[in-house]
Amino acid sequence: MRVNPNLVPDILAAINESQTNLNTALQQVSTGKSVSVPSDNPAASADMVQNTIESGDVDQYTQNVSGVLSMVQTADSALGSVVSALTQAISLGTEGANGTDSAANQQEIAQQVQGILSSVVSQANTSYEGAYLFGGTANTTVPYTASASSPSGYAYNGNNGVNSVAVGDQLSVQVNLPGSQIFSNSSNDVLGSLSSLVTALQTGNTAGIESATSAVSFALSYVSQQRVFYGNAESQLNSQETYLQQETVSLTTQQTNLVGVDMATAATTLSQAETANSAALAAAAKVLPTTLLNYLSNPS
Amino acid sequence: MSGLNTSLTIGIQALEATQAALNATSNNIANANTPGYTREVPQFSENAESLSGSEVSGGGVNLDGLQSVRDELLNLQIQQQTSQQSSTDTQSASLQQIQTNFASTGDDIASTLTAFSKSLAQLSASPSNAAAQQGVLESGQNLAESFNSTANGLTSAQSEADSQVTQTVAQINSLTQQIAQLNGQLSQLTQSGQDGGTLQDQRDELVQQLSQLTGISVSQSSDGETITTANGSPLVMGSQSFTLQTTTGSDGMQHVLDSAGNDITSSVQGGQLGGAIQIRDQVIPGFLSQLNTLASQFASTFNSAQAMGFDSNGNVGGNFFSVSTGTAGAAASLSVAITNPSLIAISSDGTAGSNGNVANLSAALTSPLPSGQSVTNAYANLVFQVGSDASNASSESTAIGQSLLQLTNQQSSISGVSIDEETTNLIRFQTAYEAAARIVSTIQQLSTVTLDMGSSQSY
Repeated sequence: MRVNPNLVPDILAAINESQTNLNTALQQVSTGKSVSVPSDNPAASADMVQNTIESGDVDQYTQNVSGVLSMVQTADSALGSVVSALTQAISLGTEGANGTDSAANQQEIAQQVQGILSSVVSQANTSYEGAYLFGGTANTTVPYTASASSPSGYAYNGNNGVNSVAVGDQLSVQVNLPGSQIFSNSSNDVLGSLSSLVTALQTGNTAGIESATSAVSFALSYVSQQRVFYGNAESQLNSQETYLQQETVSLTTQQTNLVGVDMATAATTLSQAETANSAALAAAAKVLPTTLLNYLSNPS
Repeated sequence: MSGLNTSLTIGIQALEATQAALNATSNNIANANTPGYTREVPQFSENAESLSGSEVSGGGVNLDGLQSVRDELLNLQIQQQTSQQSSTDTQSASLQQIQTNFASTGDDIASTLTAFSKSLAQLSASPSNAAAQQGVLESGQNLAESFNSTANGLTSAQSEADSQVTQTVAQINSLTQQIAQLNGQLSQLTQSGQDGGTLQDQRDELVQQLSQLTGISVSQSSDGETITTANGSPLVMGSQSFTLQTTTGSDGMQHVLDSAGNDITSSVQGGQLGGAIQIRDQVIPGFLSQLNTLASQFASTFNSAQAMGFDSNGNVGGNFFSVSTGTAGAAASLSVAITNPSLIAISSDGTAGSNGNVANLSAALTSPLPSGQSVTNAYANLVFQVGSDASNASSESTAIGQSLLQLTNQQSSISGVSIDEETTNLIRFQTAYEAAARIVSTIQQLSTVTLDMGSSQSY
């Protein structure tokens, strides 16, 4: 059989192929990515869509957790102050009820309890980044303002709404309790009991002081119970933070597996492609110029 | 009776035949790099012996002509493969262009969807923060824009394929005219018993070019080649060519009509024309319809989620996205309907501080759409299809390219000019010519000697 005399298409195809391989290898090494357009690996590209969106969400959830965590901590420490204020009010109430105090002393104690009431109200009006923490979802208005019509002397301007913040794809954490539940609950009215204690102390009614003091101590234990909510939220957020960190790591790993290159392999492939390309070029240089004419002497 | 004159005649015949062979060799060398050129081989034959009395003498050499060395079957195979390859090449080129819209570039749908989802998660943590609200509005606009640009990328690739249809049909018509003309000239030549190698080379080259433009079927008949499209519409019959036409169809696209006016658009296969029609009428509409369904369903799901809550003014949430009614053109028309971030329905109870509806808004991104898939999954599917179509087209093109290279090599091994071979022939014919010339000069000397025999005078 006659041999194909025209080597050019074969040689060009070989050079072309080795050049393509070289380009691909070079691109992979220089970008560190094995997939730059969907056709490089359709399945990995599709998975990367999911991965990108999840990574973005996890990133934001992590920011949410740290933002919400400091908000919850602020609320928790506000309630901590309320607890110690109430403890102090109870000891003042007990002191006022022991019958040995003069009326002037009781007035003085009443003054102190009144001061405690104001400090509890100011804690109930705590705000975080411009939003009131105990106003329910109506958190743009001051939750407790002085009101003559209210028995406790303070009216609640918030609502009973609660907010839950997304900190995971299927997880949102409730981040607030409305003030109406913590401070002016009808069965355990913190502000009301303090206010009654002030009134009882001012009037010097020992029985009244005793019953008001016991109401304040009920309120104390109630606030302590409510505070557990914030403690739980904190620990939930902390464990979610840990989870999100792991999730970030696993998403990054997945991303590397999907579109990343193993540098050692990529570098080896690159050097192989270089060798193959040089070989193809060298072969072309050797073969192409050679014909019988090279070996015939010129006719004299 | 034979004499010196016979030898002289034989010598002159040999000179002429060798000269013709030298011509053929030099023509082969001259055309070594001409596309479609088929090497020509001189056909020598010996003339009949003549018998004169008891004396037998050879009749010398005769050059019957030059014969082109070609394999028609191989040509047919090459034409078919060429049609297939140029069809996949056309599709592959278009898909390469399309898939850049789906690559992760930062303003593709996956990236903007990520930013939108992220901005909603941020809004969940700080519902009354003006920056967070503005963030949702802006990332929503970016998302709508990336839907627009992806749809536009698809539509522009489609109209590019459409204009390719018109151009290709014009090229086909010009080629079929030239082929028909050559067919006529060739049949005259063959009737007069000539080889017509050059014309045949030209025609084969044109048919080869035609097969790049569209899939064809070629058959030989008494008056030359008959060429039809793959589905049987005539293109060339003998010396007559049939023009294809294009007309704007009801879908706004160019339709291909055969010479009898029949719409053959859907049956055109192979070649640039087949590839462009496949991309324009099948591939891109498939992608577009998925993208439109996604845009339309996503917009209405998100708008329903808006309607579940209240905006910052305490009103029931209005539409966030505006999209054309009906699925067609949804992706290109998707836009954000509001300009004021206070109209985002963040609240579930009408108060400004509530974030209760953000969960519903986020759920629009993760929960299944009416199509049964979430936005993310539906888009990921689309990316997979685009990628896999592009990758299939390019690997198919590589595979056909390989087999085409094999066939071309085979054709070249039969019809290609080998410089080594021609050089060898050159030496061979050079020697033969020198020898024949020596015969003539020898006979001349002998004639002089013979004439001198009867005379003292020397000639």
